[in-house]
Amino acid sequence: MPRPLTAPVRLSLALLWLALLLLGGWWLSQRLSLSGDLRKFMPEARTPAQKLLLDELGEGPGSRLLLVALSGAKPDVLAAQSQALRDALSNDKRFAFVANGGEVGLDAIPERLRPYRYLLSPTLDGEGFDAGSLRDELQQRVQDLGSPAAALIEPLLPSDPTLETLKLAESWQPANAPQRLYDVWFDAKGREALLAVQTVAPGFDPTGQQAAVDALRSAFAQAKGDSQSRMELSGPGAFSVEIGGRTQREAQWIGSFDTLGLVVLLVFAYRSWKQPLFGVLPLASAGLAGLGAVAWWFAGGVHGITVAFGFTLIGVVQDYPIHLFSHQRAGVTPWQNARAIWPTLATGVASTCIAYVTFLLSGVDGLQQLAVFTIVGLLTAALTTRLLLPALLDPSPRDPASWPWVETLWNAIERVPRPRLRWWALFAALALACIALPRAPFWQNDLSKLTPVPPAALARDAQLRGELGAPDVRYLLAIRGADAESALERSEALRPALDAQVAGGNLASYDMAARYLPSAKLQRERQSRIPDAAQAKAALADALRDLPFRDDAFAPFLADLDAARKAPPLRIADLAGTPLEASVSGLLLAQAQGATALVSLSGIRDPQSLARLASAHGAQLLDLKDASESLVVAYRERVLWALAGAALLLALTVWLALRVPRRVLRVLLPMALTTLLILAVLRVSGVELTLFHLVALILAAGLGLDYALFFDHAGDDHADQLRTLHALVVCSLTTLLVFLLLALSSIPVLRAIGSTVTIGVVGNFVLGLLIARHAVAVEGDG
Amino acid sequence: MLAATTFASAATPEAIDSGWILAQLARPAPMQTAFVELRDSPLLKAPLRIGGEYRRPDEATLVREVRSPYAETTTIRDGQATIVRGKRSRSFSLSRVPELAGLQASFGAMLAGDRATLERHYRIEAAGTRQHWTLTLVPREAALAAKLRDIVLHGRGAELRCFETEPARGGEVQRTLLASAARAADGVADGKALAALCTAD
Repeated sequence: MPRPLTAPVRLSLALLWLALLLLGGWWLSQRLSLSGDLRKFMPEARTPAQKLLLDELGEGPGSRLLLVALSGAKPDVLAAQSQALRDALSNDKRFAFVANGGEVGLDAIPERLRPYRYLLSPTLDGEGFDAGSLRDELQQRVQDLGSPAAALIEPLLPSDPTLETLKLAESWQPANAPQRLYDVWFDAKGREALLAVQTVAPGFDPTGQQAAVDALRSAFAQAKGDSQSRMELSGPGAFSVEIGGRTQREAQWIGSFDTLGLVVLLVFAYRSWKQPLFGVLPLASAGLAGLGAVAWWFAGGVHGITVAFGFTLIGVVQDYPIHLFSHQRAGVTPWQNARAIWPTLATGVASTCIAYVTFLLSGVDGLQQLAVFTIVGLLTAALTTRLLLPALLDPSPRDPASWPWVETLWNAIERVPRPRLRWWALFAALALACIALPRAPFWQNDLSKLTPVPPAALARDAQLRGELGAPDVRYLLAIRGADAESALERSEALRPALDAQVAGGNLASYDMAARYLPSAKLQRERQSRIPDAAQAKAALADALRDLPFRDDAFAPFLADLDAARKAPPLRIADLAGTPLEASVSGLLLAQAQGATALVSLSGIRDPQSLARLASAHGAQLLDLKDASESLVVAYRERVLWALAGAALLLALTVWLALRVPRRVLRVLLPMALTTLLILAVLRVSGVELTLFHLVALILAAGLGLDYALFFDHAGDDHADQLRTLHALVVCSLTTLLVFLLLALSSIPVLRAIGSTVTIGVVGNFVLGLLIARHAVAVEGDG
Repeated sequence: MLAATTFASAATPEAIDSGWILAQLARPAPMQTAFVELRDSPLLKAPLRIGGEYRRPDEATLVREVRSPYAETTTIRDGQATIVRGKRSRSFSLSRVPELAGLQASFGAMLAGDRATLERHYRIEAAGTRQHWTLTLVPREAALAAKLRDIVLHGRGAELRCFETEPARGGEVQRTLLASAARAADGVADGKALAALCTAD
C-alpha cells in the first residue's frame, strides 16, 4: 500500500495532471485533422443517386453556390463594390468562380484559345460567313465605331468583326440573368447588387465553407470602405456556416454555465473546493485518450461528428470519481475505497465497452470511430479513477453518510412503497402503446430539420435564387456516357427537349457542360462550315466593298478563322487554368468507369414531367433530397442492428458478472423501462426520432446501468447505502444540470440530445431507486 | 480691331476665369443643339462623320441622337447610358466608356451649371480670352484617368463650339463640333478642315 501523500503534494500532482492534459490536448489539436465530411459518417452508397450524392454532391453545382446581395447604398456605389468584390475574389483559390453580371474580361480567355470561338459559338450552325452576312455585320460595326461605346468594341474588331467573343460571353451568362445596372446584376427593384459565387470546397465541408464565407466577408469589408452598405449571404454553405456558428455559440454558452453549475454542485456536495478539480481529471483524460486513439487508428482523419457524439457518450464517466468521493471517509484509505467500488464500476464499464464492439462491426467508418473513442474513453476514465485518483484524495473528509439531509432523504425513500413486478409490466405496456401511437412519423429522415434554416432566410434564399436564376439544389439531371465526349454528345441531344420545356414554362433555365464546351463532334461539324482561306478572303473582300474600313483592317480575322478551321477540337484538358474550367468541371464528372454530365435546373414547375423527359432521352432526374434521406435510413438501420447486438451483449455481460437472475433483472429492468419511457414521452410530444436521439438513448442506457449497479451493490451497511445514495444523487444532479440546459436550447439538435438524456436521468434514477435499490429488509443477497 | 482687342484684354485679364466660362455655359433644360462628330480609327480609311442633335429634355437626362448617316439614340441618365439602334438596345455604365464620361462632364454638369460635380471629377484649367477660350478637364479618378487623358472644350463667349476627347494611351483624338461650328461644318468633308473648325474662332 502506498504511503498517503501530504495535502500540498496531492494538490500539486492534480495540477500537474491537469497541466499534462492541457499540454496533450494542445499537442493533439496541432496534429488532429478534423474532417467535416459527412460522407465518412454514412454507409456505402447503393443507388446511383446515392452514389452521386456521396461522390459528387459535395461538388454539385447547387450546393457550392453562395448567393450574395449588397444593399444599403446608392446603386452606383453598390455596383462599384460588386466589381471590387469580384476583382478580389476571382483571384482567390477558394472560389471556382465569381459572377456579378460584369462582362467577362477578354483577358480571362487565353490568347491561344481565342480562335476556338468559332467552334464554341452556334453562329456557324446557321448562316456562317458568306459575303452577305459578313456585310451585314460589318455595317453594324461602322455604326458601333460611331457610337459612344466605340472604345469598348474597337480593340476587338480586327480579329473579331462579327463580335463572336461577345456573343459567346453573353451566351455563357445565366439564361435568365437579373437586370444589369452599372454593368452588374441588380434585383428587379434595382436596390440590391447581386453576385453568385461558387466555392471550391464542397457543400459537405463546413470548414471549407467557413473559410469561403470568411474570405467573402473580409473582401466585402475592404470593398465597403466607409459606406453604409450591407452584405447578405445565402445558399447551403452560408446556412451551414450560420447554423454551425449559432450551434457552437449556444453550446459554448451552455457549456460555461454547466461548468459553473458543476463546480458549485460539487463544492456544495463535498464541502471542498478541490473536488471539482479532481472530478474533471478522469473525464478530460478519457476525452483526450479517446481522441488520440481515433486519430492514431483512423488515418483518414477524425470526424467532427465522432467528437461531438463521443463527448456526449463519455459524459457517463463524470460519475466515476463521484462514486469514489461519496464513499471516502475516515478509517478507509482512498485505495481501499477504490478497490471496494471497483467490481461495481468495472461491471458497468466492461459491459458497456463490450456492447460497443458491435459498433466496430457495423462497417460504417463513423460508427467505428465512435466505438473506438467511447471504449478507449470509458476504459481510461475507469482506470484513472481506480489507479491514479486515489493518490490525490483527502483520506479523511467528512463522511457523506453523516450528513442529515442524506439520512432524511433515505427515510423518505424508504417510505415509498415498491411496486410489484406486474405493475412494471403494465408500465411497459402503457409506454409501448404510447410509442405505437400512429401520431407523427416515427423517424425524421431529413437531417436538415435538426439544423433548421429560419423560414425568413429560406424565403430570402428562394427570392435570391429566383432573381439570379440560380440552380435548384434538390433536382438535377444526370446523363451517363462511356467517356466525356459521349456524355457531352448525349447532353447536346437533350437540349432541344430542354429548350422546349423552357419555352413551355415548365423550366426557367438549365445549365450543362456542353453549353461551354460543345462535343468534339459538334465542333467538327462547325469546322466543316468554315470557308477555307481563299474563300474567306474573297467573301470578306466582297463584303468590304463600299464600306469605310481599310482593306487590310481584318487580316487578323482571316488568320483566326483559318486557325479555327485547322485546330483539333477543344477538349476538357485544354480548359485547364481558364475560367471555363470551373464551369465545365462542376457539370461534367469524369470517372474511371465513364463520365457523368449534370444538367442543373432552375425554376422547375413540374419535376414529374422532367423525370419522364429525362428517361425518354436516356437521362435521369435525380432527387438529391430523396437520396440523402435514403442514406439516412440505411445508416439508421445499421445503427439499430448494432444497438440490438449491443443490448444483447450487455445483458450477457451483466448476467456473467452477477450470475443471479433476480439481480440481473433488477439491474437491467430500470434501464429497459427508462428507454421505453423516453420513447413514449418523445412520441406523445410529437417528436420524430433522429440519429441524435438514438445516440442520446445509448448514453441514457449507460447511465441507467451504472445507477442500477450501484443501487444493487450498495452493500448491507446502512452507512454504505447512505453513501451510495449520496453518490447517485450527485451523479444524477450533475448529469441533469448539463442535459436540462441542452434540452432548453433553441437548436433542435442540442434539444434532441438534451431532452432524451434529461428524461433518461430522471427515469433511471427513480426506477433504479424503486427497482434496483438493495432492499435490506426484504432480501439478503448481494 | 486693335482697339477691340485692347478693350477685350482690358476687360478680361489673360488669366481667364473658369467660373466665368461655366456661368456662361449654364443653360436651363430643356435645350438642344446640333452636333457633328468626327470619329477616327486605324481601321477606317477616313474619319466617320456623324451628325445629329444633343438634347437635354430635363436636368437629369442627356440624349445624343444620331440622324446621319444612320439613326441611333443614346440616353444618359443616372450614370448609365442606353444605346438604341433599331430594335436593339444596350446599356453601359459611364465609368466604362471614357467618351461617355466626357460627354457627361461637358453637358451633364456644365449645362446644368453644376460646378461642384464637375470639380469633384476633374481638374479644370481655363485658357484664352472670353472670345476664344479653352477649358481643359483632367480626370481626377484613377480609373477614368487610365482611359482618358483629358477633355478640351473650345468656346466663344457663351457658346460651346467643340470638344475634343483624348484617350490616355495613344489613339485618335475624337472631335465633336457643336452649335455654330456644327452649322459651319455643313458641306465640309475634309477631316483637317473640320478639325480646324473645332479650334478656330
